[in-house]
Amino acid sequence: MKLAYAMNKGSTDAAPAEASYAASAGSRTLMDAEPGQTYIIREINTDDDEMNSFLFRLGCYQGEPITLISKKKKSCIVVIKDGRYNLDKMLSEAIII
Amino acid sequence: MRIAFAGNPNSGKTTMYNALTGRNEKIGNWGGVTVGSKEFQIKKEYAGEQEVIAVDLPGAYSMSPFTPEEGITSEYVRTARPDAIVNIVDATNLSRSLFFTTQLLELGIPVVVALNKTDINEKEGTKIDAAKLSEKLKCPVFETVSIENKGLSEMIAKAISLAGTTQEAPYLQADINLHDKAAVDAEDRKRYSFVNGIVSGVETRKTLSAETTSTDKLDAVLTNPIAGIFVFALVMWGVFWVSQTWLGPLVADWLVGWIETFQGWVAGQLENSPAILSALLADGIVGGVGAVVGFLPLVMVMYFLIALLEDCGYMARVSAVMDPIFKRVGLSGKSVIPVVIGTGCGIPAIMACRTIRDERERRATTMLTTFIPCGAKIPVIALFAGAFFNGAGWVSTLSYFLGLVLIFLGALLIKAITGYKYRKSFFIMELPKWKAPSLKFAFRSMMERAKAYIIKAATIILVCNTAVQVMQTFNWNFQVVEEGAEDTSILASIATPFAVLLIPLGFGVWQLAAAAITGFIAKENVVGTLAVVFALTSFIDTDELAMTGGANTVAATMGLTSVTALAYLFFNLYTPPCFAAIGAMNSEMKSKGWLWGAIGLQLGTGYTIAFLVNQVGTLITEGHFAAGFIPGLIAVLCMVAALVFIGKRVRAHFDEQYELHKATTKEAKATA
Repeated sequence: MKLAYAMNKGSTDAAPAEASYAASAGSRTLMDAEPGQTYIIREINTDDDEMNSFLFRLGCYQGEPITLISKKKKSCIVVIKDGRYNLDKMLSEAIII
Repeated sequence: MRIAFAGNPNSGKTTMYNALTGRNEKIGNWGGVTVGSKEFQIKKEYAGEQEVIAVDLPGAYSMSPFTPEEGITSEYVRTARPDAIVNIVDATNLSRSLFFTTQLLELGIPVVVALNKTDINEKEGTKIDAAKLSEKLKCPVFETVSIENKGLSEMIAKAISLAGTTQEAPYLQADINLHDKAAVDAEDRKRYSFVNGIVSGVETRKTLSAETTSTDKLDAVLTNPIAGIFVFALVMWGVFWVSQTWLGPLVADWLVGWIETFQGWVAGQLENSPAILSALLADGIVGGVGAVVGFLPLVMVMYFLIALLEDCGYMARVSAVMDPIFKRVGLSGKSVIPVVIGTGCGIPAIMACRTIRDERERRATTMLTTFIPCGAKIPVIALFAGAFFNGAGWVSTLSYFLGLVLIFLGALLIKAITGYKYRKSFFIMELPKWKAPSLKFAFRSMMERAKAYIIKAATIILVCNTAVQVMQTFNWNFQVVEEGAEDTSILASIATPFAVLLIPLGFGVWQLAAAAITGFIAKENVVGTLAVVFALTSFIDTDELAMTGGANTVAATMGLTSVTALAYLFFNLYTPPCFAAIGAMNSEMKSKGWLWGAIGLQLGTGYTIAFLVNQVGTLITEGHFAAGFIPGLIAVLCMVAALVFIGKRVRAHFDEQYELHKATTKEAKATA
């Protein structure tokens, strides 16, 4: 489990990380992620402190892994810790990976 | 002695509480089923001779509440100081659950951890070293499976023995300024890394949670905007069809036979008593209550099926698939859950709105959820479908569908009136693991409902029917109303003024007005009162009536055409719910303005729908408008005008607030 995290961290830290830095505001959100892949959360931007801390208690915060299971136009299903959640588009776009 | 049950949503607290106390509180496989605290004495076989009260609390992810029902939990454990806490931990999601556990352990109240759902872990090959976990948390840990009563007696015995002692905390939050957001965040991070350290030391997983499984494929279909909604529509149609067209009426027919036999027996016993007594007892009480009880099987079958749906994990998927649509009209995906619960009873549905975080969305859902016909309205639907539409299944389908449409339209209206400003409304819903629904739990839920229904029929409905019977038998001088002079009865003189208002809707006779009014006490009363005022029984057995009367006696006696019957049915379905549900709305909305708005909206909707059905229907079938078109139109236009007025006032109020705000900032700038 540890190893898997490390590998994923390695892959996100490589090329895409710099690309997103260059684009600054246009960084990758969950909506740009590939189903089946695990990512490390870089930032959470909901502009809503209570929402941020709620996500935190679920284990969704900067530096933690998040896995995209499936994605649709207006929502997606993710794994945070050991639970599956359905997120709407607005929330998915607030999670920067 | 009080033992509180706390833990994450959907960890199985209420199931455990039910097992220990023998109660029958609502359970379901999604987070947020329990929305208020409940307490009851634990059974002697678990607690011995001591009086131990179990307190079931709504699920919470942490001590800092996010939705209103989470607040109940943190408030309770903080201020009520229970003697011990049973922390139910979902063993399939240990890493998340322990965050809350470490917070509970800091309170100083003895904590016993119940590692629940260990059966699922066994199946999935996840192992948790309970002994090691207990050592690290400094509190006892028991493996439990609450749906099978496994591990409960040892766990609760330990909790009882620890009551009154103090708890040592494995992790203590540093002394920080709780108003400093950054410091709180940093502390929470430290807590999580402490939790992560424990989890990696005690848990070994065979299948990683992040792996895609076959149930993920199912979820992908069920949350697909097209396929998912289609499946939901199909499932709900199936529930209504089985309960109201196929299995329900089948059992009801058989039950009605028994009720008629009983009624005949009562009439036989009263053969030598005065006619008045016989009419009151046999026709009024037994007939009226019997008419209501006859529909019980329909309600029971429906409760059974809904309980199966709630138990398997489908509700969370429905909520997810409906979110984009509900969001468009200004509600939330979570509004679907009250709507589905509302098919059973409006009161728990209104209470279920607590899980909606945004206040406006929550109040709007509370206001609209009762447009979905509840279980008490099933007899009304079944009666009208049977008497006027030859038992056609489309009547019930249309009733539910129209209810849903009204919810959407109502939501749009509320959005327009409240001047809904663009606000970020996020949606997140945990998708629980699928589970085979328990027939035992569904059966219990059904029997609980049947009990409540019979009690209601034997109390409120019986009293109402008796009152209606008496009021219809006597005039204001307390003399028996003579045959042919029925309009002089007490009931007729009270109901006639209301009946006048209903003329544009096509059913302006006092009998029908009286039934609609008693419907506010309990919706089943509509059927009971109709049975009494028209001296009709065995509503459901329309075949037999057709045989005895040569034509459809029920339809003929009520003097309604199929158009006006439909208008009357819709009027009863979409006007305000019963008083009990209005009371629930009052306590959930916590605003008189919203409550009166809700009642006004529901009255207006019921009236307008009935008006449109009657007038348009008559125009189509007879080529002219029905009686009272102009007065009715004026009434409807007045309602529209009232809406526009309220909307304007609400918006002006907003602007005013905004102006005030601007003024003060200007002032502030000026003084600076």
